[in-house]
This record gives sequence, structure tokens and C-alpha cells, in this order.
Amino acid sequence: MTTPLAAAPAVAQRATARRTRWRDELVAHTFMLPWLLGLVAITALPMLASLYLAFTDYSVLSSPEFTGVHNFVRMAQDPRFWTSLRVTFVYVFFSVPLQLVFALVLALVLNTGLRGLTIYRSAYYLPSLLGTSVAVAVLWRQIFGNDGLINQGLALIGIQGTSWLQDPSLALTTLVALNVWTFGSPMVIFLAGLRQIPEELYEAARIDGASSLRQFRSVTVPMLTPIIFFNVILQTIGAFQSFTQAHVVSAGTGGPRDSTLFYTLYIYQQAFVNFDMGYAAALGWVLLVIIALITALHFALSRYWVFYGD
Amino acid sequence: MHKISRRALLGGVLGAAGLVGLSACAGVGGRSGTASTVRYAMWGNNVRQQNYQQAFTEMQQAVQGLTIALEFAEYTAFQERMTTQMAAGTVADVFWVPSPNVMTYYANDLYRPLSQIENLDLSDYPAEDLTGFELDGQLNTLPFAIFVPVVRYNATFAEQDGVEPPADWTWQTLAEFAKDYSANNSQGRKALANSADTDLGFEYWLRQRGEQLWTQDGKVGFTQDGLASWLDYWEDLRKAGATTTLSEQDGVTADWPTIGDRVLMVFGNSNHIIDDAPQFPDYRFALRHPPVAADATADFRYLYYPRMAISQNAADETLELAGQVLNYCVNRVEMLKTVGLTMGAPTNPRVAGEMEQFASPDEKETLRVVAEDRAAPRAPRFEAPAGSGSWRTTMTRTIEDIALGNTPVPAAAGAMITEINDAIARAQ
Repeated sequence: MTTPLAAAPAVAQRATARRTRWRDELVAHTFMLPWLLGLVAITALPMLASLYLAFTDYSVLSSPEFTGVHNFVRMAQDPRFWTSLRVTFVYVFFSVPLQLVFALVLALVLNTGLRGLTIYRSAYYLPSLLGTSVAVAVLWRQIFGNDGLINQGLALIGIQGTSWLQDPSLALTTLVALNVWTFGSPMVIFLAGLRQIPEELYEAARIDGASSLRQFRSVTVPMLTPIIFFNVILQTIGAFQSFTQAHVVSAGTGGPRDSTLFYTLYIYQQAFVNFDMGYAAALGWVLLVIIALITALHFALSRYWVFYGD
Repeated sequence: MHKISRRALLGGVLGAAGLVGLSACAGVGGRSGTASTVRYAMWGNNVRQQNYQQAFTEMQQAVQGLTIALEFAEYTAFQERMTTQMAAGTVADVFWVPSPNVMTYYANDLYRPLSQIENLDLSDYPAEDLTGFELDGQLNTLPFAIFVPVVRYNATFAEQDGVEPPADWTWQTLAEFAKDYSANNSQGRKALANSADTDLGFEYWLRQRGEQLWTQDGKVGFTQDGLASWLDYWEDLRKAGATTTLSEQDGVTADWPTIGDRVLMVFGNSNHIIDDAPQFPDYRFALRHPPVAADATADFRYLYYPRMAISQNAADETLELAGQVLNYCVNRVEMLKTVGLTMGAPTNPRVAGEMEQFASPDEKETLRVVAEDRAAPRAPRFEAPAGSGSWRTTMTRTIEDIALGNTPVPAAAGAMITEINDAIARAQ
């Protein structure tokens, strides 16, 4: 048992330590303050506001009126809501796996020790930087237009081109192709993941007589599953939020015949064309829930296929 | 080296954060103009932006103490920005009004009555014109140009092919002419771009039938039969090969750079020739009034006005300058000498007369057709009601549905009217 006299220096020491820690934390929080202010003012408050607006009739130009769950009931009866949902799911379902497969194949090729790797990597990454920009969407419109590059190329070999962007059965395909083309970002992540796989695993596999394909199947893929998982999550969320491509290619209409009516484009139409901001907010929250559910599903399923090596 | 104390550092950081917060509260570029600055918002393409910028530079030299801050955007982006600025109460002092939103803005009290602008000079305008400019019995927006529906044709093609679009035609004779031309011209040209979605042409059709686009009390002014008859007309031409297909013209709305050298005629607005003709400098273009049905009502013609307005947000001390800006825009031919007739013929009859001396051949065509329609008897025309802002998009989808064979015309017409009615009802 310590006497009060003996305890005094220890108490003083702890108080000093607490003061020092408090000062350090104050400094840290002061430096974080601009970010925190931004988080609250630019993200958190607008999110809360949009949650409230989702339960109102709000035309932007007049005050919101509380309408309960009316916007959500209306959604269920809105055929264009279901169309936009279907278009978006089709887009995500096809574009994300195709993009990731393409990115993985390219990463595997680049990982073979090519000369000029940096140049290739930069060149392949470039579309990722530009892919969601208006400029590239305009370029895409030119490439797939009736007199575009694709049809001109087909004409050279005697094939009559088709109307890629005006045919409802093909318009979405061109947007999937655009998304696949922006494979650079996942490719770079795959490449980094491939570099992390210990060489001795391949050596051991080779000693055991594993072919290249077997090495890929039994070493590369399992070791890369955390990276694949990461890319799947990121690209899925990104694909659900795609907007620019559809907006530019369809001139904001989602046409032809709503075949490119992405969910985000429909939100935009409701908010800025129809001034129906309450309904748009409700649509936004439904999208958030959908993305959250799908991400949760990915995480739940990941335990069956993602290998963390521990 | 001077050492900064922790206290001073913390103080500095907090001060900076405070300044950031204060500047955020101040908003970005959204305040109403200062006493000598008038914020002017408009839309268009790059050429228009450059021309107007030049005109405003000249205006600033002509008007003592005036500075104009131009807020320019492409048409769709302009409307988006207006929406957010309205929500934030930071609409520009003087702004152009997108036609689908004329009544939407009015319903939300965005316009300052022009009676409050004491120096606004409207002495050149006949009283009936000023009455025609009013919304709901009040002069709160100022039409600064006029355009009318036209059929624009490629006069070079017509000469080459030995045809002459008749000056007086009915819808029936136009259809016959278009089918014959498309089938028999040696260059494989189509007579018409598919123009089923031209709103001015559609309104011209409706008014000849005694219907309207919108009623005075803010409702859809046309019947399912009226709409279906218009859509049927274009379907007949499309199926007969007299128009470009939707894929040939890159969508329901014909893309002029794509079809400009493939068709003889397009339906459009009288001012479009100003921006479209220079894209094909090898050809000469001319304008015709659209066809008139044999049983058309007498006063079906109408004038379509792009409008500008002064915002309710505009500070009282800027009103005089805003008035001078409006005066310069609508009462001075110098303005039009710089910007041309890209937005249509001038509403001021004196300026229209003066402009004749400086007009290019294309501009003379614009002035001619507008003057002819202006002289004709005209039944009142009403602006699009609040909530109807997306009716053109709805029409585009309707035409796509029909052209792709998914929906019969009467059903598509009925669905379109229902959708527009629902949107109007939601806005009320």
C-alpha cells in the first residue's frame, strides 16, 4: 500500500501526462477541423437534409411539404423507376465482371516483366482518368454514331454498320463497352496485388510440377482474392453511380426508349428537369440502400471465397 | 529562425478555419450584383457567348458606370444552374427565361414587375404587342426576340434537283412532294428530316386544328386525336421513306451536322438558319412557312418569344442599371450588329427595320418570315404551365416508342398526355 506522500508525485506525473495528451489531441483535432467542418457541412448535413426531403413534396422553388412515405409508394407505381432499376442492374451485372476480367488479364500480361512497363501502365491507366468525363462520352458518341469510327471500319470490310446508339437493344452495350474500356484503375490495383504474391509459392508449385494454368488457378487467384474482392466492391459501387456516360450519350434523355436510363440519370431528371426534388431525394436513398445491401451481400459471401492467408 | 509558439500556431489555424467558414457562408459567385455590376445569365453555344461578351463590352462603354458579369451556360446546364440558384435565392439580376419554365418561374415569384423599372423604354412597341408580352395580365418579362416555325430548305439542292418547294402548300401537298422527291432525286437525298419532335411545328399544326399547346388556365390544350394526327403524319412520311430514319439523323431530334447535307428540308425555328447555315458554307438555304391545312382556322399563326427578366433578388440600387441593360438589348441595333439574329428577329419594330440594312441574306430570311407572321392575325398563345417543363422529353420518348413499333400511335398519344397531365398536377 502506498502512502499519500509517496503517491503525490505519481498523481502529478499522471496529471502532466494527461495535460500533454490533451494538448496533443487538441493540436490534432485543430488540424482536422477543416476536414471535420467539411464533413459536417458538405456531407453529413446535406445527407440529413435529403433524408428529410425524401419524405416531402419539394419542388426546389417552394417550401417542402411533409408527405410521409408518399414518394416511396409512388416509386412502386412508377414504371420509369423500375426501368431505370433494370437498366442499372443489367449495366452493373455485365460491365463490372467484364471490366475486372479484362483488367486482370492485362495485369497478368504486364506482370510478366515486359520492357517499358511504366509506359504501358500509364497508357492503360489513362482511360480510367478520362472514362467518366464528358469528353470521352462525347468521343464515344462519335465512335458509335451512325457515321462513326466503328461503322466506317465495318464498311471497309463490306459489313453494313448498325445504329449502335439509336437501337435500344445495343445502346446499353456501348455503355458497357465504355466502362470496360476504363479498366486501368482496377488493373493497377491487380498489378500491385500480383507483385505482392511471394515468388516462393510459384517456385514450390513449379517443383511440384504445376503447369502455368495450375499455378494461376491454385496460387495467383487465391492469393489475389482480397484484391479481387476490393475491386469488385469499388467497381460495383462505381457502376451503380454511373451517370455522365448515359447523360452525354443519350443527351440526357436515357433514350432510345429508356434503354440507357441509368438510375442516377433518372434521379437527375426528377430533380433538375421536373423540379421534383423530394422524389429525387427518395430515389437517392433507395439507391443508397440498394448499394449498401449489395455491398453487405458481397461481404457475407466473401468468407466463402476470399483468402486472407491467415 | 523565428520560432512559432504552439499558442500562436493554434491561433493561426483557428483563425484560418474561421475565415474559411465565413467565406463559405458568403457563398460563391451567387450574390446579387453590386451597385454598378449587373449579373446577366444566358445560354447558348461558344459563338454566341463570344458575341454577347463582345456586345457587353460595347455596352459597358456606352453605359456610364456599368459592369456586366456574364453568367453563361449551355441550355440544359443553364436550367440546372437556375434551379439551384432559385433554391439558394441567388438568381442573376437579368436572366433569360427558358420557355418551358416561363410559368414555373412566374409561379415561384421570380420576376420583378417591369413597371418597377422606371427607365425602361418601351415607347417603340405598339400597345397590342405589349399586351401580348404579358403573363397573367402583367408585364414581368420582356421578350427580346421573335421566332416562328418554318421549313428551311437547301436552295442549292433544290436548284440541282430542279425542284422548288411551293410557297403555298398544304400538309397534303408537302407529303406528296416529299415522297416524290425522296423516291426520285438522283442523289439519294431525303426530302425531310424526321421533325416529329419540333415543338413549334407541332403547335402550328394544333392551332390550325383549333387546338392549342397550352390553355390559359395552365392545362394541356390539345386532344389525343390532335396529337395522334401529328404523329401519324410523320409516321406516314417515315414509313414512305420521305424522311431520314431516327438512326440516320442520330435520334429523334435530327442532328443538323449529321443530316445537313443529306436532306432537302427540315422543320425548325426561323432563327436556326443563323447558326445552322454556316455549318454548310457551300450551300444556300432559304425559309418557307410551314404548310397550312385547307380547313385551318384563320388566326392560327403565332409568335414565339424568348424572354428575359429581372430577378426579384436584384438589389434595388441595381434596377436602374438593369433597366439600361434591357434598353440596350432591345432598343439598340448596335446590340444586334454584334450578336446577330441568333435568337430571332427583334421584338422592337423600329430595331427590326434598322436591322434590315445590316442583315446578311440568312438574317433577311429570318426577318422576312417573322414580319409576315407578325402581320397576320393571331389568336392568343399561352406559355407552358408549371410542371410541364419535361414535356419535350416525354414527346421524344413517345416518338421513339412509335418509330420502334412498340406502341400504336393512339395509345402512345394518350400515354403522353397522361404523363404531362400528371406532371402538371404534381406541380400544383
